[in-house]
Amino acid sequence: MIGTIFDIQKFSTHDGPGIRTTIFFKGCSLECQWCHNPESISKKHEIQIFPHKCIGCMNCIKVCDQLAHTLLNNEKLYNRNLCITCEKCAKNCYADAIVVAGSDITVKEIMDKIKEDESYIKNSKGGITLSGGEPLLQSKFAKEILVQCKEGGFHTAIDTAGNIPFNNFLDVIEHTDLFLYDIKMIDDILHKKHTGVSNKLILENLVKLNKIHKNIYIRIPVIPTINADEQSMYDIAQFIKPLKNIKKIELLPYHHLGISKYESLSIEYLLSNISSPSDELMSILRKIFN
Amino acid sequence: MKESLSYEERISQLRLTKQQHTLEKQRIDGTDGYWDIDDKGIIPKPEGFSFIPESNHENGDFYGYEFSGKNYQRLLETHPVYINKVSALAGGWMHQFMDVRIPKWNPDISYEHLHELQQKYDLIHGIGGAQHFNVDFELGLNLGFQGILKKILIYEKKDNGQHTDFYTAEKNVVMGMLNMITRHVNQARVMAKEEQDLVIKQNLIKMAEVNEALVNRPPKSFHEAVQFIAWYVIFATMYNNSGAGGAIDGYLYPYYEKEKKKGTIDDERAIFLLACLLMKDNQYYEIGGTYADGTNRCNDLSFFMVEAAHRLKIPTSICVRVHKNMNRDLLTLSVKYLFEDKLGTPSFVGHKGMTEGFMKNGYSVELARVRAKTGCHWCSLPGLEYTLNDIVKINFLAIFDVVYKEIINNNPSVEKIWESFEKHLKIAIETIAKGMDFQLDNMYKVLPELVLNLLCHGPIKSGLDMSNGGARYYNLCIDGAALATVADSFSAMKQRIEIDNKLTWGELDKVISNNFENNEVTRLLLKSVPKYGSGNSIADEYANKITKMFTKLVKEKNTPAGHPMIPGLFSWANTIGFGKTIGATPNGRKAKEPISHGANPAAGFIKDGTPTAIANAVANNQCGYGNASPLQLEFDPRMAADEKGIELVSSFIETFCDMGGTLLNINILNKEQILEAHNDPSKHPNLIVRVTGFSAYFASLSKEFRQLVVDRIVEGL
Repeated sequence: MIGTIFDIQKFSTHDGPGIRTTIFFKGCSLECQWCHNPESISKKHEIQIFPHKCIGCMNCIKVCDQLAHTLLNNEKLYNRNLCITCEKCAKNCYADAIVVAGSDITVKEIMDKIKEDESYIKNSKGGITLSGGEPLLQSKFAKEILVQCKEGGFHTAIDTAGNIPFNNFLDVIEHTDLFLYDIKMIDDILHKKHTGVSNKLILENLVKLNKIHKNIYIRIPVIPTINADEQSMYDIAQFIKPLKNIKKIELLPYHHLGISKYESLSIEYLLSNISSPSDELMSILRKIFN
Repeated sequence: MKESLSYEERISQLRLTKQQHTLEKQRIDGTDGYWDIDDKGIIPKPEGFSFIPESNHENGDFYGYEFSGKNYQRLLETHPVYINKVSALAGGWMHQFMDVRIPKWNPDISYEHLHELQQKYDLIHGIGGAQHFNVDFELGLNLGFQGILKKILIYEKKDNGQHTDFYTAEKNVVMGMLNMITRHVNQARVMAKEEQDLVIKQNLIKMAEVNEALVNRPPKSFHEAVQFIAWYVIFATMYNNSGAGGAIDGYLYPYYEKEKKKGTIDDERAIFLLACLLMKDNQYYEIGGTYADGTNRCNDLSFFMVEAAHRLKIPTSICVRVHKNMNRDLLTLSVKYLFEDKLGTPSFVGHKGMTEGFMKNGYSVELARVRAKTGCHWCSLPGLEYTLNDIVKINFLAIFDVVYKEIINNNPSVEKIWESFEKHLKIAIETIAKGMDFQLDNMYKVLPELVLNLLCHGPIKSGLDMSNGGARYYNLCIDGAALATVADSFSAMKQRIEIDNKLTWGELDKVISNNFENNEVTRLLLKSVPKYGSGNSIADEYANKITKMFTKLVKEKNTPAGHPMIPGLFSWANTIGFGKTIGATPNGRKAKEPISHGANPAAGFIKDGTPTAIANAVANNQCGYGNASPLQLEFDPRMAADEKGIELVSSFIETFCDMGGTLLNINILNKEQILEAHNDPSKHPNLIVRVTGFSAYFASLSKEFRQLVVDRIVEGL
């Protein structure tokens, strides 16, 4: 079986217990304004352009049949509308100024990568995490990986935003040791505004999942001007309080590390004016969940 | 009189002294004010002190037993006294005996017959190399300086005049040692009389008593034992830069245990004494290993050594031996302080890889277990083994360069280059082997191991120098360097010329000859081929083939005189020098750029150079005979900012060692801070980094060396 991912991160230490290998699935049903992996949103392969790496070899212009890459007044231009993502430009760009976000990969290829770090993962009581994007948009592919991981004795985790039909959870639930479940905010109007979708299904799915799975961590991105306030956190705390299988709550401070990726994908970044929450604020907000 | 300083305050003062000395050294010494070597505790000389040795050669230099012994005795007898009154230990060194020796070899003892090939392959052949093996401190602690002298006299008598020069020189050295210690006793007494501070006054009186005892008898107390080791490392460093401290927690434990039972020492005092020892010299100490019978050597002192280094916060070289039965708390504490202090220490040695590897040379498990890690990358049997560790290097890239030039215009193919590479590497190893035999025949005539001999098991009994038959075992170290640069070069040629057909041999020749001038595209075409370390790449295959071939060639026969050699992969700080003589290479490296470091993949070998990818690569490329191919790793300080992070890094270290990894050096550095310090070292005068096997103040490194660290760190984090 083949799926679409955009990265495999080894020695991942923030996506569940121990040392983990995290597989980043491509495609998401949310468009969070703060997403630090904007290349994860579209399921399709995408061309990313990093002009500062360009050495001016003109290979991209030479190989592009669609005229997506052109030269105007000695300046190189890339027209995304003309691009059919044939990927010839990226294959001929040795400077890594043009790269493809997305690769189609088999379960076996993923398992081979995971096994490279098997000793580190197992000795540290770590495992593998399927993240994204939204891994459960490709739940059949995710299931295949999880089945093989369990057969190989690996601890498994899924990092989900939860905005998918609950049946997708059922595909993987018996092969998943841990769910990392992302909650952004309880206010649905704000949720729609900042993520593009309602949180109704997300919250419903969490309640359902809590009934049939015993190990769930809640992960909350803390975004200044959006949800980095006591009321927002209090609302989330109230919502999850009755859910008995929530084993841990992790607050993840916003960071800017994804900004250059937005430029590379010609996507406007809407949060350029905010900065990371202070340690003091994070500490205050964490206390709400104690 | 006022009440005085606590141990903590005294340690702070020691640290400040060290920092002042470092600033002073940066100002007055070294090439352009920089020191690209271990910071080994040398103290700036007082004005007016100089030492001119007596010569026995027309070139003004001195050679052999008689003049080495006489001159060193005179240096010890005239060397200024150094007492830092807040330290519990006397002594410090200000003059390197070997500094005056240029060239370092006696020109009358020619090895011209080896020159052509040594130069052709740019070999670091080890002729003239000194120390780099372990003494047995237990021997010294049991005998004391007087006991050593008596032992010399006994065996001199038995020798019946066959090795008079040897025994006379050794007597000279011990007499010089006793003189220097005695002068410190006297000075401590004078200072004590003048001292107003009660605690410091008592400290100086105690210092005088301890040292007076050492002049007369073997050490009995913990304090005396620590002072004995401090003196010995000062004498050994001053003589020929020796840096092997050994399994310190084992040597000192009987003294500590006895006093602990009697209640005459507490933990704080013991930690303070060890901090004073660390202040004397950046020696390589191993902690937490096993005794010969396999029982765990880890004890309170193992923890105290880590604690002392943590409190002192100066460059130190403590290495934790990682094994299955180790005390896990020692590993956890070591990782905690490694991240908290960001001093590049402790490092970690893999017991399994080192022990099982060494046994493959035919040694018992009991011996292999106690082969202590006490150098940049090496282990040796305390007092038993002569090794030439870390001073014999083959630059694989120099061999590759010879081969490439020979074949590139001669109907080339990757296969042909590979076959020729093996042929030339074999010749280079044979040349090294001949040079090692030459060293063993002649080094004692140049500079015998007069200080280290004293604490080894054979020399005093036999009248023979460690370098010349006095050792029980000879296992000569031979390190390969530039593994990644050469593996990536083979892979780039294979991929771009023979698989992709994107380049012809003629085009390659042209761009290499022009150092890729105006041809960045081709350089990147070659550079973008998957590199060694990326896993299952052609470059990984070549790295493995090179490691195996090198190991086979080194182990398939001994030197012509019959001495075994042990292969490892380690470039030390030669990465810069080795690169300087070589033109552009097919991996996209430009002319004169440094070679890759040790067994590490090239900087930036994958987009996110994860620790496990590097560790897998290095663990899979061990030569496997008990000499190390170290892993050099850089971590961001945030990696182990909490208990979970410390646990993950500890687990990572254990796994690497379990996979056969031999040595792990870790820097904890903040990328922004290191870049700022590189641009303006004065902004971070106390920033300490582990350069290769050794650590040093970053500001004391030359720009070239700083760049080397920066490249690695910026790519690695």
